[in-house]
Amino acid sequence: MNPQLAGLEGLEGTYVFDLHTSHRAMKLNRFLWKMIGADARAQFSADPEKSMTDAGLSDTEKDLVRRQDWIGLIRAGASFFVLEKFARVAQRTNLEVYAMMRGETFDEFMATRRVPECR
Amino acid sequence: MAKIIGGIGTSHVPTIGVAYDKGKQNDPAWEPLFKGYKPVADWLAEKKPDALVFFYNDHATTFFFDLYPTFALGIGEQFEIADEGAGKRPLPPMRGNVDLSIHIAESLVNDEFDLTTFQDRPIDHGCASPLPLLWPHAPDWPGVIVPIAINVLQFPIPTAKRCYKLGQALRRAIESYPEDLKVVVVGTGGLSHQVHGERAGFNNEDWDMEFLDLFVKNPEELTKLRHADYIRRGGAESVEQIMWLAMRGALEGEIVELHRNYYLATTTAMTVTLYEPA
Repeated sequence: MNPQLAGLEGLEGTYVFDLHTSHRAMKLNRFLWKMIGADARAQFSADPEKSMTDAGLSDTEKDLVRRQDWIGLIRAGASFFVLEKFARVAQRTNLEVYAMMRGETFDEFMATRRVPECR
Repeated sequence: MAKIIGGIGTSHVPTIGVAYDKGKQNDPAWEPLFKGYKPVADWLAEKKPDALVFFYNDHATTFFFDLYPTFALGIGEQFEIADEGAGKRPLPPMRGNVDLSIHIAESLVNDEFDLTTFQDRPIDHGCASPLPLLWPHAPDWPGVIVPIAINVLQFPIPTAKRCYKLGQALRRAIESYPEDLKVVVVGTGGLSHQVHGERAGFNNEDWDMEFLDLFVKNPEELTKLRHADYIRRGGAESVEQIMWLAMRGALEGEIVELHRNYYLATTTAMTVTLYEPA
């Protein structure tokens, strides 16, 4: 256990991205990361299934990507910082992704914010 | 001899870049953010620093997790602004100073900070989100940046204390550069926010204020905190505030806070501060 992180075990709704997670979900994260390339985005748009198969995703991971299950992807080991690159391809803003991760509608989530118009 | 004339603390929220590109400077929801940068931009226009050293973090854009550097310093005449999934931004590449970057790399490594160097790689919103609010970019940026990326994404990440020491070593590097350059050190990130998991949207304004006060008066206290402390108090991704401590280390000693703007609109406590040595 990394002593810098000790004591976070009980912190709900937080998934620390460490080398264990990174190692476990390397293929998934690489697939999401590649969305910063225009070619990878075009390939995914043209044939998402082939794109995912070529990236070596498991059936579970493919299903999470198909359903754009953001919290599921985080639990499967995705780093938010590559997930947000895929969110751009899926035409979702980060605020929308936050709402979905929390299990709220976008309006419900924005109602909890101080300046909901700031988007 | 080069000299550090001040420090800037700033958030690097990607949405700031989006709002900037869309021209939302006078939108009532965004104006408090943009207006808050004005005094800092004015100070920079008056002081005319030659270089801004950025302690920032990459967001798995320049580097991927298969080879993720703990500290990485960029070298180049220019740095392209990265496409992060939504296409290129309408900004010129950021400018660099090869000799200055190489001197800092040599000095830091000889000072036992064995960092990575990178060339010919685009840089993401870690630098590019706040930069146009600090410096004009038309017809071109008025000075150069020295990008120093710190891993705050993939644990283990450097301790708060290590970041502070990196800043101290940066100061030795700057002050041993033979040219009479004026340098400002920028620490980016924060303040409180969490962007993943069911806890996304977490903020803690009381802690943010405490952090900003301790930052000036007693930064040693902040260097003693563990990553878990930052994550609990400010949200998981607020741990990136340790990059402010690198800037603080470079300004070691007493400092005065000339400006502070704090705007918590949706999910990140967007903050900009300006410091000068006392």
